[in-house]
Amino acid sequence: MPIEITMPRLSDTMEEGTLLQWHKQLGDVVSSGDVLADIETDKATMELQSFDDGIFSEILVQEGEKVEVGKVVAVLTEEDEAPLESTTPEEPANETKVEIQKPEKTGMAISPVARRLADEYGIDLKTIQGSGPSGRVIKRDILQVVDATKETSAAAATTQPDEIIQRTVSEPEVVATTHPIVASGDWRENRSEPLSNMRQVIAKRLVESKQTIPHYQVTMSFDMDPLLDMRKTLNKQLANSGVKLSVNDFLVRCCALAMAEHPAFNASFGGDCIYFHGPVNVGIAIALPEDKGGGLVVGTIRDADQKSLRSISQESVRLGKKARDKGLSLEEMSDTTFTISNLGMFGVEHFTAIINPPNSAILAVGAAIEKPVVRGGELVVGNELSATLSLDHRVIDGAMAARYLKTLKELIENPAALLV
Amino acid sequence: MSERIIEYRDALCEAMSEEMRDDKKVFLLGEEVAQYNGAYKISKGMLDEFGPRRVIDTPISESGFSGMAIGAAMRGLRPIVEFMSWSFSLVAADPILNNAAKMLYMSGGQFGCPIVFRGNDGAGGQLGSTHSWCVESLYANVPGLKMAIPYDAYDAKGMLKTAIRDDNPVFFLESERLLSTTGHVPVEEYTVPFGQALVRRQGTDCTIISFGRPLHFCQEAAEELAKEGIACEIIDGRTIRPLDIDTMVASVRKTNTCVVVDQSWSFASVGSEIASQIHRYCFDDLDNFVHRVHSDDVPTPYASNLEQAYLPNTRKICEAVRAATYNS
Amino acid sequence: MVGVKTTTSMDKTETEQNVASTELPHVQLEKSPMPESGILLGWLRQMLLIREFEVRTMQAYQNRLIGGFCHVYIGQEAVAVGSIAAVNPDDPVVLAYRCHGHALARGMDPKHCMAEMFGRIGGCAKGKGGSMHMFDAPHHLYGGHGIVGAQTPLGTGLAFATKYEDEVLQDGKSSHVTLCYLGDGAINQGAFYEAMNLAGLYDLPVIFVLENNRYSMGTAIERGTTMANELHTKSEAHGINHAIVDGKDVVSMYQSFKSIADWCREESRPFFVEAQTYRYKGHSMSDPRKYRTREEETREEELDCIDRLEKLLCDEHGLTRDGIKQMSRQVKTQVREAVEWAKKSPETPMDELYKDVYVDHWGLFTGTSKPQMMQGEDE
Repeated sequence: MPIEITMPRLSDTMEEGTLLQWHKQLGDVVSSGDVLADIETDKATMELQSFDDGIFSEILVQEGEKVEVGKVVAVLTEEDEAPLESTTPEEPANETKVEIQKPEKTGMAISPVARRLADEYGIDLKTIQGSGPSGRVIKRDILQVVDATKETSAAAATTQPDEIIQRTVSEPEVVATTHPIVASGDWRENRSEPLSNMRQVIAKRLVESKQTIPHYQVTMSFDMDPLLDMRKTLNKQLANSGVKLSVNDFLVRCCALAMAEHPAFNASFGGDCIYFHGPVNVGIAIALPEDKGGGLVVGTIRDADQKSLRSISQESVRLGKKARDKGLSLEEMSDTTFTISNLGMFGVEHFTAIINPPNSAILAVGAAIEKPVVRGGELVVGNELSATLSLDHRVIDGAMAARYLKTLKELIENPAALLV
Repeated sequence: MSERIIEYRDALCEAMSEEMRDDKKVFLLGEEVAQYNGAYKISKGMLDEFGPRRVIDTPISESGFSGMAIGAAMRGLRPIVEFMSWSFSLVAADPILNNAAKMLYMSGGQFGCPIVFRGNDGAGGQLGSTHSWCVESLYANVPGLKMAIPYDAYDAKGMLKTAIRDDNPVFFLESERLLSTTGHVPVEEYTVPFGQALVRRQGTDCTIISFGRPLHFCQEAAEELAKEGIACEIIDGRTIRPLDIDTMVASVRKTNTCVVVDQSWSFASVGSEIASQIHRYCFDDLDNFVHRVHSDDVPTPYASNLEQAYLPNTRKICEAVRAATYNS
Repeated sequence: MVGVKTTTSMDKTETEQNVASTELPHVQLEKSPMPESGILLGWLRQMLLIREFEVRTMQAYQNRLIGGFCHVYIGQEAVAVGSIAAVNPDDPVVLAYRCHGHALARGMDPKHCMAEMFGRIGGCAKGKGGSMHMFDAPHHLYGGHGIVGAQTPLGTGLAFATKYEDEVLQDGKSSHVTLCYLGDGAINQGAFYEAMNLAGLYDLPVIFVLENNRYSMGTAIERGTTMANELHTKSEAHGINHAIVDGKDVVSMYQSFKSIADWCREESRPFFVEAQTYRYKGHSMSDPRKYRTREEETREEELDCIDRLEKLLCDEHGLTRDGIKQMSRQVKTQVREAVEWAKKSPETPMDELYKDVYVDHWGLFTGTSKPQMMQGEDE
């Protein structure tokens, strides 16, 4: 049976070794204990010793070569035995991910028990002046409010506040689950609901995004009149084919075309490098119905720069419907390189969004609003849309963002190009 | 139970003597424990009763006799090792930490180490820094050992009997300043279990947690604070391993404020560990962060005034409680 | 005659109190007789087993089946085999960290020894001790110990315990002797001097077996130890008699140790024996041995303990080369099976993490249990 000689681990920290010199030649007889070669480790030059007897029949690593521990460097055979072919599979590199979490800053100093008691008594903390250090709201402050309320409305109370306060102070966990009262009477029961899986994912990913990505925002307004006019025309023509283009469909195509022109917007931060993605995949944020637990998913429109308005629209409708009905597949939600979040349909004028990692940018789109605007030196009524980019400063600088928005503006305000 | 008041040191002697009468595997060794009747007279009379084979004088050789006792414990004997002071245990750190505490684990359950190391811990009074060690924070870091700190004569006897009967190594920390204190100790047989803290004073405004001798100052502080209208609840933790965090948490949930008094240094200490656990388990019950009183972060000074200022004392505890309760 | 230093007469007063003798007692010991050939054959087999075991240990280490620090015993086999043969099976033995050979000589099954180094549940300590910490309660083996010299106070304590058990608990006469091994590096540790002082002071039956292989890690004994050629001075200071034996001759080891052990047992006194030996391999697996010459190594290997016993058995007891080969093959098979067994032994399960920290259950700790070796599951 052939015996494989492997690069030995010769110290507790050795991962690879350099074969300095072979002491045997092919065909030599080897006995257990013979020195086969010198190996340079991370600590010293050591001997590679044979543990078996045999004929030195094959050299797989040449002098001066560095190989990892465990790799076959030579083969011994017993007499009349063919040498052994050896293959050593490459080991996949270990990927390690370090998550850094920074504490989130809170505005108002409140001691934990004061916060809990305020919650239990339904007291608005904003109305309270803290008496602790730096204005920290402490237990005493809450109890004073409770006492004052108790005095003024004792008669109106339906249960005995004395008892409640006593119980709150001595057995808070019991009170939290029974019926604490507040004198005004419009108290509604506090409750907690466990997070759904989706909420957990949203919480985790967006906290991670907001805490690790250096966000900044750039806003620009767009004259929507030409685009809205063209949309009206196109939708009339397409009415019979069941396609109805939304403003968002236009924006998807505009953003995608602009991304093709500005590759940094189709990129991800990679720690020690920036990944530039090939395909331009635009994600669209889809809100899910409240009665199904609410939440939010991002559907992927792949190769959006290659697609017509019509196919963007069809895909967008399909994704929206499927997301709401039975949920999107992983395939339908992955690989976005940019995201658009549009709250225009709710009449929202302006907002900012949190970047959807690993994207480097997200566009928050408000509604096209009729307002007085200056066109050609005259004050007229026009449709304006305000959109805000949130950007990862590690990938995109301010001037780059401005240039991208300029391209976007040209596309939106000259929409004929979108049909080409 | 009969009423009987005896000294802390006699309570320790009774515990050892009773256990040695019951179990011939128990023996006592240490510097001056036999002929001299104990450097602090704790083992007074024991040589006469048990003879030199079971009450054994050792040379000043802590590393050697600690290791020797551990070897004996590996065979199932139950040695009581007296350190004249825990300060001197530092030269025996390897046997007591590497061998006693880890033997069961490293032997995969084959060899335990039923042994008690006991002696004076903490400042005795102007002994200088090398002789004033509070070893609790240093040693409590090590898994595999138990650590007990009795405060009064009743606990001294009851807890030492528990320690001697325990199948694990027990670090039993007494105090030179408590040896002559007296307390009620029943004639009847009793033991005090490990892992059960004692509420030594009830109060509603602030929980004070401590171990051993500083409890004396906690009591003084509580008296003074009561005059100011602050009602302190004092918890004697009694054992650090196991730690009865439940009793501490229950009290803090009631008072919403907490002061930990630990005579060792503050950095990475028993006090910081308890504060951390209170913050964890009582997060939504706290009206202030847990305040801590320790010895100052310097070597123990010799000069009497400096030493008094350095140790946890009534003034420091009062200040900490006032700050924790927003009364300063 | 054993090379015992003889001085003035014993001046020991036996009183109720521990009073140390003020001078070194006079001791004159004869070597024990040569044992019969069957016993010699047994020793040969043990030494071959240890050597093959250690070769496969090195191989397993290089193949990353063994982690951490690992110290092999090749070259010193006669010390463990000859000395352990000279005591009773219930006499305590305690070791330093180069401890595989002693564990095997004492009777530990090689598969549990190998599995321990592999960090598996089948190991003698459930994989919690590792190469330096071989424990075997059924064979009265009180562990290998990783801190240099730390085992010497423990050895004193084991001797204290047997004496206490025999005299106080049984009300009889002290009837055991403890073997406490140490390397020449440990003779510079304070703990060793404290251990010797206490053993001398309390008349404890313990033999401190110094395995002088002349190097503590890479430091030659002359570079680290005063009076390196007069080591008897180290024990004489503590009232303990001293002997020098040829640690590369298992027969001589046994003959000396038998007499010394019997004397210690009878007199309830300690002894310090210097077994002169040589380790063929490095201190640990990462030692290139640059501190000594190849010529020195070759010279030492020419006096190999296994070769010498083989020659004795062939010349005077009718053993043939074929007989040796056959024994060699059996040993190789036994070690190969041990390696295979260890490989198949499962990784130590996660519930062992919090086990054996304390005897009792509290907090996260889940009490203690015995290793497979003591549960008789595998036999």
